[in-house]
Amino acid sequence: MKGFKPSAPFLLLLPAIVVLAAVVVVPLLLSLYSSFTPFRLTKPETFFVFVGFRNYLSILANADFWWAFGRTVLLLTIALNLEMLLGLGLAMLVEKATRGQRILRTLMMFPMMFSPILVGFQFKFMFNDNIGLVNNALQSLGITRDAIPWLIEGHLAFIAISVAEIWSSTAIFAILILAGLLAMPKEPIEAARVDGCTPWQTFRYVTWPFVMPFAYIAMTIRSLDVARAYDIVKIMTDGGPAGRTELLWTLVARTAYSDGRMGMANAMAYFSILLSIAFTVYFFNKLAAARTQIGAEW
Amino acid sequence: MDENSSARLKRRLLGIVYRIGLFLAMLTICLPGLWIVLSSLRPTVEIMAKPPVWIPQQISFDAYVAMFSGIGKGGIPVIEYFRNSLIISVTSTVIAVAIGMAGGYAFARYRFRGKSGVFLGLMLTRTVPGIALSLPLFFLYVRLGIIDTHFGLILAYVALNVPFTIWLIDGFFRQVPKDLAEAAQIDGCTRWQAFWQVEFPLAGPGIASAAIFAFLTCWNEFALASQLTRSVSAKTLPVGLLDYTAEFTIDWRGMCALAVVMIIPALTLTYIVQKHLVGGLTSGAVKG
Repeated sequence: MKGFKPSAPFLLLLPAIVVLAAVVVVPLLLSLYSSFTPFRLTKPETFFVFVGFRNYLSILANADFWWAFGRTVLLLTIALNLEMLLGLGLAMLVEKATRGQRILRTLMMFPMMFSPILVGFQFKFMFNDNIGLVNNALQSLGITRDAIPWLIEGHLAFIAISVAEIWSSTAIFAILILAGLLAMPKEPIEAARVDGCTPWQTFRYVTWPFVMPFAYIAMTIRSLDVARAYDIVKIMTDGGPAGRTELLWTLVARTAYSDGRMGMANAMAYFSILLSIAFTVYFFNKLAAARTQIGAEW
Repeated sequence: MDENSSARLKRRLLGIVYRIGLFLAMLTICLPGLWIVLSSLRPTVEIMAKPPVWIPQQISFDAYVAMFSGIGKGGIPVIEYFRNSLIISVTSTVIAVAIGMAGGYAFARYRFRGKSGVFLGLMLTRTVPGIALSLPLFFLYVRLGIIDTHFGLILAYVALNVPFTIWLIDGFFRQVPKDLAEAAQIDGCTRWQAFWQVEFPLAGPGIASAAIFAFLTCWNEFALASQLTRSVSAKTLPVGLLDYTAEFTIDWRGMCALAVVMIIPALTLTYIVQKHLVGGLTSGAVKG
């Protein structure tokens, strides 16, 4: 070991690496191993039985799993796209405001302060078919006479969950895009206007390229914890009615803790981890590309 | 003349449409929260009433009183949950920020091989869904005997927060010009002194907001806490919220009151950091 002198950044990063290795990497390796066993919580000895890819094969042949997987991807696609659009719209509305912009900005951040579990509870309350705000309002306004079974019918429940998800996360996009809009120099817009661009052209070719990296930052942050939809679904419907709102993550929790089939659940969990990583890497690359594009102009 | 007035009319109409749009957007954002606060203050009869009672007839704090008077009165042990949440969140925040400062400084001030690779690697550990991570942790914690303890949850939350605090603090150190620390070193400071006396105070507000962000993540976390805690000795508030749904009938008013108790610290803290948070995220990420 003589002459070995670790570099300063290595020493500084060491605590972070140690903690993450101990709490994330090693447990994940353990769960990778146990996904190749028929491990059940009630039968500890099954931890040492190796069955190869049997868990994975039975998952791939399981229709419920594919439904949950497809539903998760669908929810993320709908939610992320709408959040981006609504966030952009909201940011532009607030940026236009001449008075009270500070207050509007604070109000806009409001949903960010709610934990996912609270968002879920709040919308469970509002979408309650009997006493919920939504049905009460619809009935008082005479739009519908019968109570709409929001959380009881499969498709409606999916819509209600999407609404909750979008409500809670639009703020992140709005805030970061607004930061981009405010940081943007005004000359290019004026130049575009003088040159006779329509408002749409100004937006498309001047504003949007500038704001794009900010939108991708929001996307990256968001993709870091897409799995928080678990909290919302858990409290709103718990995967019901009859598994119609089951997402990948609620399915993992049910298989592991209700059925006690840890080996199987770990195999499923690996699918959900790969899904999250795919989302993050995708947006991280987009961010890097957008960053170099902007960097060249700055 | 005619063209002028029609243009003016069009402009005024657009202004009105814009105001309505803004108002509706803000209403959608604020209404759910306000409804929760309102419901926590009304008698249960009014919440259940058909046809609905829109304007509260009477205000009562019964839900809050019942909540804080312990299990005996049909409440849940909110005080214990509150204490657990506070201990776990504060401890793990302090540790995560200390680790994050070291890591963030390394990213902001040094060039080393595989820098962006290491950064992406750290971020990837954050993407692991809480529920997926809870499976092996549950198993390990049972074996180590730290299931349902403060220590176990603190450990998990430190790991959860480190990647994000590194990202934020990296951004804040980048905003502090390198020349300042170099000038201090030329004047005879060691690198260590230059850090504590020049760079740290300048990045201070940013680091504080990273800390608050980490605190909120712990305060709000549910997926891990719901599996790694079992009893009053370690359960946190988000897990406690589910206590209300465990029975056949849901105590809506009680849940609303607990929701208000949970949201107040989050609300205050977010309000304090909002400015720095956005600055940190964007500067750290855009200027690479």
